[in-house]
Amino acid sequence: MNDSLSKLVGTVGFASLTVRAADTAVALGSGDVPVLGTPRVVALAEAACVAALLDHLGSEQTSVGTRVELDHLGVSAVGSNVRASAEITSVVGSKLTFEVEVHAGSRLIAKGVITRAVVDRLQFLAKAAGQSRIE
Amino acid sequence: MVANVLSVQVVVGEQVVVGQQLLLLESMKMEIPVLSDAAGDVVEVAVAPGDVIQEGDLLVRVS
Repeated sequence: MNDSLSKLVGTVGFASLTVRAADTAVALGSGDVPVLGTPRVVALAEAACVAALLDHLGSEQTSVGTRVELDHLGVSAVGSNVRASAEITSVVGSKLTFEVEVHAGSRLIAKGVITRAVVDRLQFLAKAAGQSRIE
Repeated sequence: MVANVLSVQVVVGEQVVVGQQLLLLESMKMEIPVLSDAAGDVVEVAVAPGDVIQEGDLLVRVS
């Protein structure tokens, strides 16, 4: 399946998480407190973006993260149930823009904008492998 | 900047003084009290606990 990308505006995806010790800032190295770490919030929001694209890209395609702007507003303790939603709000060429929100219950804990690029999976991996040889 | 309204400390008709706390917001993982910069009567409370507000939104009107 390979929908024309511009038809994807309005498509939504979701991802959820119960906060465990491994998701905390202290475990991730992004802080020293045992609460949900910002990198994990970013990853959850990106997972919601990926979920929005599920079944909409061809098997030869994938999407890669290119930009994240996220306000991490609220604290979430271990045990909290956290849910991310992502909606595609614009498509320009192969660049997709998502508005993302992350809630713990009804409380908004993060909000932002993520962009991803649709790429050819094999070409992308080949390019990455070539770069790793150069380095 | 986006914030959650955690609590509202005043009601319409209440008299407030300069520096009195009107609301408690949560943003950037911090609790942020909103204090009145005027003395007078609360004539409107435009938000409730649980609301998500944006910069520039009306919160409470005091006159």
